[in-house]
Amino acid sequence: MDAVTKRLAPGLLVWAFGLALAWGLPGSVWKGATPPPFPWAALFPAALAAGTLALAAPLLAWAGGPGLASRRPLALLEAPPDLLWACLLLTLWPAAWGPPGTLAWLLAFLLAALPGEVRWLSQAMPSEYPFPQAWGQEAVSRVRRTVLLRLWGRWLAARFPIWLTATLVLERVLGLPGLGTDWFTRVALRDRPGLALWVGVLALLWLLAQPGKGEEP
Amino acid sequence: MRWRLAFLGALLLPNLGLDPFRGGLGVMLRHPLGTDDLGRDALLRLLLGSARSLGFASACALLALALGLLLAWQGRRWHSALSALRSLPPLLFLLPLAAAAGGLGLLATWVLLGLLAAPHLEPALRTRIETFRQSPAWAAERCLGATWPSILRRWAPWGWQQVAALFPSAWLTALWGEATLSALGLGPGPGQDSLGRLLAEELPRLGSDPSPLGWAALAAVLLLAWTSAPGKT
Repeated sequence: MDAVTKRLAPGLLVWAFGLALAWGLPGSVWKGATPPPFPWAALFPAALAAGTLALAAPLLAWAGGPGLASRRPLALLEAPPDLLWACLLLTLWPAAWGPPGTLAWLLAFLLAALPGEVRWLSQAMPSEYPFPQAWGQEAVSRVRRTVLLRLWGRWLAARFPIWLTATLVLERVLGLPGLGTDWFTRVALRDRPGLALWVGVLALLWLLAQPGKGEEP
Repeated sequence: MRWRLAFLGALLLPNLGLDPFRGGLGVMLRHPLGTDDLGRDALLRLLLGSARSLGFASACALLALALGLLLAWQGRRWHSALSALRSLPPLLFLLPLAAAAGGLGLLATWVLLGLLAAPHLEPALRTRIETFRQSPAWAAERCLGATWPSILRRWAPWGWQQVAALFPSAWLTALWGEATLSALGLGPGPGQDSLGRLLAEELPRLGSDPSPLGWAALAAVLLLAWTSAPGKT
């Protein structure tokens, strides 16, 4: 067994236990409720939201650099919980426009998640003083680009569960079906296959977010 | 940390008395935010609900930090297992669990939130504990054969300082966790007023009916979030 497998083994055991728990739960049959179909229609908006976030956050972090992590306005934008954005949107939404739809959800999601992600990425970037600042702006932006490109995949994998939580809260408040609601319903209804699939996806994301060979855990 | 802990006492405060004949009163001098449907003064309700939310968050943060300390002290070999547990945000698991259980009581919310938040506090606590473990002071304690009670007596103030440094983040996790659960109708029942409960009651009518209590609850959440945001470093 190599060092990486040995290091990851306890974590994999936890996920195996989670999977066994998902399969071992008393199923939905005895509750008389059928598991809902997968919300295929919500996949495109979810991909759009994740794609926008996956591009906008690194771009903003690249433009702002590590200094953004200590900016007070960003911290103030990041501080309110997802719940508050959902409540504010629901409250300020003009009744004449009908109930808030996917576009409103997307807006609330970006408002709730983007500041935190920009700060997360900025905090992960190394300090630029004295180098590469001394080498000029071109070197600075090159270092930022290299760091962000290396971080990108692992950042997405590590942050996806946080985005799922944010979208779950927004979907519940705004009454829209989506990926968060799908996870929520499958746990609540104890839908074994669906839940096992979700646990598998979350385990895979965890695995992708782990440091590789020769990296500090 | 102290002002947050002071709110623990609010958990013991009695509920406000009901007066259905004075329900739904508008803003007036005697009731600056009016009264709710059951005749309770809205301002008093907001203050009591907020104080209880803050007290609950403090209790929850203390539990999470105690468990996190235990994990940090004992869980060196289980680093990867703890990282797997950390990959799930507490609310992602707690919300569907509460729905499956038909809502969670105050005690269950306290225990579950504390349990789920503890692995998230473990890395920061472990860093602090490892520094202590590798220090000459700890080596000296062990060489001289100091007993656990004497070690605890000497090092408790230092341990408390470390816990206090992480208390605000644990507190915020608990505060928003409980508020979200309650606002979605999955938290402690009507017997336990909280900010989330106020939002759950007032939110449906906020868009159509100007409700001072609902707006004040939203403002309280925003104020709490902003006062807890990290300052300029």
